Amino acid sequence: MTTFDTVPPDTASHTAPVTIVDTDVHPVPASPDVLKSYAPAEWVDKIWPTGRAVTPQSYFYDTPDAYKSMSMRVDSMPPGGGFAGTDPEFAAQQLLVDAGVSIAMLEPMCDHQLPQHEHVMKSTYNDWLADVWLNQNNAHGRWRGAISVSAQTPADAAREVERWGGHPYMAEVLMTPQTRGIPFGNPHFDPLYEAAARNGFPIATHLMGQTPFELIPQYPVGNPAHWHDFFASWPLLYVSHLMSLVFDGAFDRHPDLRVVFVEGGFTWAMPTMSRMDRIWEQRKADLPHVRRRPSEYVREHVRFTTQPLEEVEVGTYLEYLDMMDMGDNIMFSTDYPHWSYDSPAWAINRFPSDQRERIMKGNATELYGLPDVVGALPGERPSGGPDTA
Amino acid sequence: MKSPVIDTNVQPHFRYNAEIRKFIDPAYKTRAIPDVEQQWYQAPGGDYRADLYDGKYPGSIPETVARHLFSDGGVDYAILNPSTRGNVADYLLNSRICAAVNDWLVQRWLDADVTGRFLGTIRVNPEDPRGAVAEIERLAGHPKMVQVGVPMQSREPYGKPMFEPIWEAAAAFGLPVAVHVNGGNGVDHAPTFAGHAHTYPGYAAFMPLNYFVHLATLIVEGVFGRHPAARFVFADGGYDILTPLMWRLDTFWLSMRDQTPWVDRYPSEYLADHVRFCSSAFDGPTDPADARRWMDFTGKSDLVMYGSGYPHWSTTSPTDAVDGLDSEQREKLLWRNAAGLYSLTRLMEGSDA
Repeated sequence: MTTFDTVPPDTASHTAPVTIVDTDVHPVPASPDVLKSYAPAEWVDKIWPTGRAVTPQSYFYDTPDAYKSMSMRVDSMPPGGGFAGTDPEFAAQQLLVDAGVSIAMLEPMCDHQLPQHEHVMKSTYNDWLADVWLNQNNAHGRWRGAISVSAQTPADAAREVERWGGHPYMAEVLMTPQTRGIPFGNPHFDPLYEAAARNGFPIATHLMGQTPFELIPQYPVGNPAHWHDFFASWPLLYVSHLMSLVFDGAFDRHPDLRVVFVEGGFTWAMPTMSRMDRIWEQRKADLPHVRRRPSEYVREHVRFTTQPLEEVEVGTYLEYLDMMDMGDNIMFSTDYPHWSYDSPAWAINRFPSDQRERIMKGNATELYGLPDVVGALPGERPSGGPDTA
Repeated sequence: MKSPVIDTNVQPHFRYNAEIRKFIDPAYKTRAIPDVEQQWYQAPGGDYRADLYDGKYPGSIPETVARHLFSDGGVDYAILNPSTRGNVADYLLNSRICAAVNDWLVQRWLDADVTGRFLGTIRVNPEDPRGAVAEIERLAGHPKMVQVGVPMQSREPYGKPMFEPIWEAAAAFGLPVAVHVNGGNGVDHAPTFAGHAHTYPGYAAFMPLNYFVHLATLIVEGVFGRHPAARFVFADGGYDILTPLMWRLDTFWLSMRDQTPWVDRYPSEYLADHVRFCSSAFDGPTDPADARRWMDFTGKSDLVMYGSGYPHWSTTSPTDAVDGLDSEQREKLLWRNAAGLYSLTRLMEGSDA
């Protein structure tokens, strides 16, 4: 196993109990040059041929006022300059101190058309994330990182996962769901799943860029024209992958595999589980490799992050979540610094009272093996949360 | 007293696949026409109820279907929605296939029917909008034709502008449009968002959910806003995922509505006036104790109509379809919602008296 040089957490000053874990935060390299400095020299001109773009930024479905906001929280641009998510100190102030997040999972967004290019780009992002966020700016020990891997190169992805095994702050593997027509349950991904399970990393998945066209989720009945009909329906991509994981036996082949569906909603888990259960009950003979009730696999192996929460009348929403009974499978997230950020204070009352603690932190601390106490930041009260004194 | 029952989803079949050739336009009689089954997603053992394989094609003999539904099953009216043969590349050929299916349905099932209980669907090909409008105009006057039928499969979602003349024509004749997973073989995308399903259950569990993309685009592109009389029926169910996805659409519409200013209300507000579902064996909580409460999310009690799916293997009885519902929900599902949509209320109240 690799040994890693990281600054040990500074526990000399006061500490704070872990109360909120944010499972979806997006750091960005301060500049293309910063990122390139972590890339193998022979790849720099291939991956970034223009010398300017960090990663292609064009997209087909644009968010509100995208040209003005760049799809970011408008107050998240660091005062010292640079793009939202580039300054670890400012992010710590906004997310950890002001919003009261105890521990945050950092998930960089990047992809590339070509398999080997994508593998090298992801590997480069990992070196950058480990150095800038998880080492240089993690004296408080409150950042955790996702190991980016390419879904196009499972064998290389497995080696990349092995490279980070044992790292104190790398906590999960991050893979795109835009897999060019290969559902998650396909044995194509087995080398990656084996490596992740062996090293104790869950596989998280998060919608990545929408360039080129083949990386847009391909809707079976054609793609909508607007962001809202697109975005309302794209969780059906996660539904498709989840059904594949269960029906194609991935959880039977990999008993330690854990999958986290990030930012794709979770209220669809109830109908997805009941549909699978109903089909399975009637068609067991078609699925000899599926040894348990489909919903049992979901409850054991799958987690969902919360943002963006649907804005529903709260009483109705609570009644639905109560019926769904997935309090062990849902993990809070903000999506900081993106425009559709959900604050912890707004979100918490939308969860049933008996599920709140698990959703806000308990499920994540258990899944990722997180501590109960972290170093407090200046201005933070010992109990965590914003200092209103 | 037995509740009236309208079965809104019955799939009649030719006695054999080639029988369609007796009805096809002579100019097309030497063309290849796909069979009804899609071999790669057929249910192992057969798509239809095992006891219906009695030497003939399941669902192909009107007298047998009438006996199963009306005498044995307690159904009062059955809406026949036949499959066509998929989105075949030659859209003009496909329109002739639709016309052949319609002529067969009229001749063999509607005009020949002595029970007076079979109602029909005008199948049209959305990839040929002018031909589809002409087919609606040709048959809308038939007193037993109560809706227009189109495939779930499409390379563009149904809210897109090229389809609007079809929906406009259907609305002008007061005909709902039923969207139903089609048979045959077509130029189609893979059936799930992640590519091809690797198992039959993986296909069958997911495929009905694609309706939501048609629905979301019909709302967001303004079809319902411009055509107050437009009605859509999603015949494969999938209403179990309606609540979470409509919540999302409402939420994101609020942020994005300046891009589509013609949508002047929450998307979910269009459902009651424009959208219905046929019940399915795959929808709903597995515990009947949750069914009543679950049915009221997103007002589904007013949206779902009983559909047996006969002769499919997953055929559900009226009794199973209403398991766990309260008496008002049962009445709505078994006949009231359908009677309202298809203007059968007077007929039903007459038969009930």
